[in-house]
Amino acid sequence: MAHQAHAYHMVDPSPWPLTGAISALLMTSGLATWWHYKTTTLLFLGTTLLLLTMFQWWRDIIRESTFQGHHSTPVQKGLRYGMVLFITSEVFFFIGFFWAFYHSSLAPAIELGGLWPPTGITPLDPFEVPLLNTAVLLASGVTVTWAHHTIMEGARKPALQSLTLTVLLGLYFTALQAMEYYEAPFTLADGVYGCTFFVATGFHGLHVIIGTTFLMVCLLRHTHYHFTSNHHFGFEAGAWYWHFVDVVWLFLYISIYWWGS
Amino acid sequence: MAGRLLLRACTRTLQLRSGVVARPLHRAMVTERGIPTDEEQATGLERRALQALKQGKDPYSILKPQQYAGTKEDPHIVPCIGTKRIVGCLCEEDNTAIVWFWLHEGEAQRCPSCGSHYKLVHHELPH
Repeated sequence: MAHQAHAYHMVDPSPWPLTGAISALLMTSGLATWWHYKTTTLLFLGTTLLLLTMFQWWRDIIRESTFQGHHSTPVQKGLRYGMVLFITSEVFFFIGFFWAFYHSSLAPAIELGGLWPPTGITPLDPFEVPLLNTAVLLASGVTVTWAHHTIMEGARKPALQSLTLTVLLGLYFTALQAMEYYEAPFTLADGVYGCTFFVATGFHGLHVIIGTTFLMVCLLRHTHYHFTSNHHFGFEAGAWYWHFVDVVWLFLYISIYWWGS
Repeated sequence: MAGRLLLRACTRTLQLRSGVVARPLHRAMVTERGIPTDEEQATGLERRALQALKQGKDPYSILKPQQYAGTKEDPHIVPCIGTKRIVGCLCEEDNTAIVWFWLHEGEAQRCPSCGSHYKLVHHELPH
């Protein structure tokens, strides 16, 4: 039987890219039918298919790497480039929302009263829950770095503890932010202030949930001995994503919560 | 609290290091500290590449190709899984006209254009 003479991974044919594309179609058309005809069938189908796609695609990657050994050093290098490029694209995604915020807040329109925050808006006190949220995310950045070092040193239990702590802090942030959203004196419909606030912090919150899920998967894999002290890129990718989420929050806090109040 | 936990984890592992194998007796392939190493757990192509590199071999061409002088004493070594392989010689850097020729096993051959020496060396792929 012929074996490859290179270190790269020629992936076996897979149905998940197709199911992912189909779910994208169902979710977009589902959104349209939900808004126009008040039926959620397509949207529900699309979301289910998306979740199934993600689960099975990433499960296959874990099978190919941890159990079949296809992730040689050059393959890992490519994955690192991929994750960096993806996070960079997400940075640009958020740059758009910060642009929108600064566009409206640096030169407030006369309809807003010519000032920021606009007339009638009582912004959240930046030194209350938002400051706690900042502390929570910064602490989670420390714990995830601690987890990385324990993994590199081969210490299983401290890695379990630090990674669990990171996940708990992420969940705590989400719970605090959800409570803030519920208690806020302004809504998404409250002009450009409400819009920029909730769209920017809302997408950030979604990314916190994604990052927390990523780290929970890493925790699960760690309990199943998937990571070695030298090769644990799945964890590193999760940690990079988590740091990115933390940095976005810092910009949000400084710009919208503090300067914008 | 984190400091205390860390301290406890450190003292525990130090105790383990001094010979008390209290923990994962059910798992043979794990260090005393609990996280496996690549040596213990790597499999498939990753493992083969790692083991070969440890022995100074590079069957999957992960490292940069070695530089040779191309003289009779230091010919370009051309690995081959068969008995002949095509060589493309860039006689000088930045040349756009490549000199192609078959290199056969046996005595070193010379590039018909610049005269550099090339030697075919048999190369087994790990299975």
